[in-house]
Amino acid sequence: MSTAKVGLDGYGQLARRLSILFVGGLAVMILSAGVLRGDYAKFLIGSIAFNAITILSISILAGTSGIWSLGHTAFIAIGAYVAANMGAAGYPLEVILPTVICLSALVGYVLGISAGRFSILYFGLLTLAVALTTGEIVGRFSSFTGGDQGLTVAPLKSWIFGRLFTANEAPQVSVALATLAFLAADFVIKGAPGRQWRAVKSQRIASTAIGLTPYLANANALAFSAAIASVGGVATALTVGFLDPLIFDMRAGIMLIVGTVVGGIGAFLGAVVGAFFIVGIPELGRSFQDVAAFVLGASMILVLLVLPRGLAPTLQRWVVKPLVREPGPISTPEPGIAAAESISQLARDLMPACDQPLRISNLSVAFGGLKVLENVSLDVPAGKTVGLIGPNGAGKTTLINVLSGFVASTGCDALSIGDFDLRKAPPQARLKQGIGRTFQHGELFDDLTIRETLFVAAGRRVAASSTKPGLSTAAIVNRILDGLHLRHVADSYPEELPFGVKKVADLARSLAAGARFVALDEPFSGLDRAEIAELRAILAGMKAAGVSILIIDHAVQEVLNITDHIVVLNFGTVLATGSPQEISDNVEVQKAYFGPTFAAKRAQLLHE
Amino acid sequence: MTHFSDVIALVVSGLASGSAYALLALGIVIIFRSTDAVNFAIGQTGVLALYCATWALSLHVPVAVVLLGSIVIGALLGIATEVAIIRPLGQRRNFSFIALVVTIGLTFLIEALIGATWGHPSRPFPALVSGTVQIGGFAIAWNKVVSTVVALACMGVVAFFFGRTALGTVMRASAEDHFAARIVGLNARRISMLAWALGCGLGTLAMFFLAAEQSLSSTLADHSLFRAFAGVFLGGLTSMAGAVLGGFVIGILDNLAGAYVSPNFRDTIVFGVIIVVLFLRPAGILGAVRKQRV
Repeated sequence: MSTAKVGLDGYGQLARRLSILFVGGLAVMILSAGVLRGDYAKFLIGSIAFNAITILSISILAGTSGIWSLGHTAFIAIGAYVAANMGAAGYPLEVILPTVICLSALVGYVLGISAGRFSILYFGLLTLAVALTTGEIVGRFSSFTGGDQGLTVAPLKSWIFGRLFTANEAPQVSVALATLAFLAADFVIKGAPGRQWRAVKSQRIASTAIGLTPYLANANALAFSAAIASVGGVATALTVGFLDPLIFDMRAGIMLIVGTVVGGIGAFLGAVVGAFFIVGIPELGRSFQDVAAFVLGASMILVLLVLPRGLAPTLQRWVVKPLVREPGPISTPEPGIAAAESISQLARDLMPACDQPLRISNLSVAFGGLKVLENVSLDVPAGKTVGLIGPNGAGKTTLINVLSGFVASTGCDALSIGDFDLRKAPPQARLKQGIGRTFQHGELFDDLTIRETLFVAAGRRVAASSTKPGLSTAAIVNRILDGLHLRHVADSYPEELPFGVKKVADLARSLAAGARFVALDEPFSGLDRAEIAELRAILAGMKAAGVSILIIDHAVQEVLNITDHIVVLNFGTVLATGSPQEISDNVEVQKAYFGPTFAAKRAQLLHE
Repeated sequence: MTHFSDVIALVVSGLASGSAYALLALGIVIIFRSTDAVNFAIGQTGVLALYCATWALSLHVPVAVVLLGSIVIGALLGIATEVAIIRPLGQRRNFSFIALVVTIGLTFLIEALIGATWGHPSRPFPALVSGTVQIGGFAIAWNKVVSTVVALACMGVVAFFFGRTALGTVMRASAEDHFAARIVGLNARRISMLAWALGCGLGTLAMFFLAAEQSLSSTLADHSLFRAFAGVFLGGLTSMAGAVLGGFVIGILDNLAGAYVSPNFRDTIVFGVIIVVLFLRPAGILGAVRKQRV
């Protein structure tokens, strides 16, 4: 049933890139061939092209990082003014482009580091402040910007083409730059960086469990987006030929947001449609000021009311939907003995053995005055499976969260794997020490398909020091998809999947990340029989591979069956520890779980 | 160096312009808390209400009556906005942001409407009380004094409404948790409409004083709206007291920065201060950190 795949999403990727090249190439040819009469039409096409670049830069940032920037006019200004000044000084386009890209990326990176501190609207305001500041700086530094009088852009020369690009050829150059920007965005957004950014966007905390660093992901995304925007600025300078500060004012920034939302957030086609919208509609009513504003406002409201996702994704859906195959049955077949064996084999192949013990000593956690964990100590010897059981509110999940670095301890004598002290390590550093986990509710990345999720996780193996060598990322993903019967949901997003499948996918994610120590938070809850059988097989495989496991669950019998050692928590303290047999016979544990009456009755029954 | 009395004058006049920002900011927060929507058109709605009221001025209706009438019109426009374009958006991803963009569209629409009906050139607008008054050795326009007093009075009324009346309490409860509010049987629709009416009414009041100070034009709201948003973010998007405080602080800051640092870098200085504050308190001075909400 396994099919060889070309890339992450097969031929779709190639088709998309070829069509970007085709459309861009066609537009350049039409512009160059002189088919269009008059400069006005060419100017419009050039304007749509540079607006498409800048809208793309905003749109991909919103789509992959959830960051909305009202300040991209600043990056456009960097691109435009640097191009104008360097061009006047005789530098060619081939020098100008890398310069503005580096400059903007640097500014974007610095800005992006702080993005995670703020909510979407607040970060929007911060970027708005950047835009306003830009406006004032442009007004003041007239030697560089021409001040309020504006700046005429001299024709830019190119080494590669060995000539000057005059105003007449500017639209072609603008379209060509747009084509390059779209291709670059496709490589980055649909590639590994984009997948990581989307993972961080959809699950900021859970993403650290597979070793991602959220603020760096944001910074990289903003740097990339800023670089694209500055290329848009170069295209703007070329096409418009005269830099009026109005090009970079607040209203321009708002229009770009309008184009992004109306076209469709995060959609490549949406950026082009959005550019058509913000260039075309005002042009339609050019001679009637109020008509243009009225049509613009009315169509913005209408589009968003009627087409919630924006123009492009809705249109795409209408066109593409009939072509999409029906998804197969969602349910998983119950594995037979042979299948169970092959699942264990999968876990044995993918998971490395753990040769170091995990140690937790005198761990205490308090939320305000509430003591959640108090002087809890437990060891997971290398390659052993330890079960952590206890009633609701015993502090089990908190313990795993401390282990993952999500929750800070209020006191802890030791938290270490081997000689490595985990107490000071940030969450994303723990996978590097071979520590992985699953989540009670799956916590999958909403913006990534199951396949993409596995790609991100498998890609993190490089970062994890303890993984087995010799497997390519794609090979790992394909083996997991087939082995855990996830192939038919590989291109589905989590919201389309039932709970059990999500949990299996979460487990698959930790298999892909290849940790040597795995903490499982209630893996059995919410699974159907077939999925439970699959989980048992995976756990058996992990054990056989020598992975250390810490497992929390209310399915006590399952936990007793699989573990070497049990720790019972109650009200944040260790109630009992021992072998599964000792624990199931422990009266205190029975009291904690089932109440004193039941425990007494059980003892009585056993006695008789 | 300037005299101390100049500083006082700047602060007082900053308070006066700050009162308009504070009213707008308060309106924005009331609407946001109740419906999760950021109303970018709050100022423009007020301007439209004022234009609607101008025909009454030509009939020599007392200015105070015109003011009340325009506030009613502004409130009705707010309700119309909520019912016609915000509620139909329904529950969707990025709701706050989509609502923001939709109301940006509304500002274009209103601007075009005003241009087509009344024309773009600005027109004079009467003040509630004209002339100037001498306070502590310097002259200040009565309009500024009255606007500050009326704004403070209105804020007091709003505070009383939310703090002491049953309906206000219900609205606060609903703002905390829309879903729970519906479960306990609060009428979410009516609460949303009321919030939009209140918010846009306050916006109209702010615009009234600004129009009297400058003149009435379709772009009257632009400048003050950004100041108001700055105040909202400074104080916290979820805190009414914070928004009012933020509005006044921005008014004073703006005036001082313009006078002492450089009139060319007003925005930069105002937003620079906000950025510093936000880095220390990412949700604003009085704002609560509500993740996943905004």
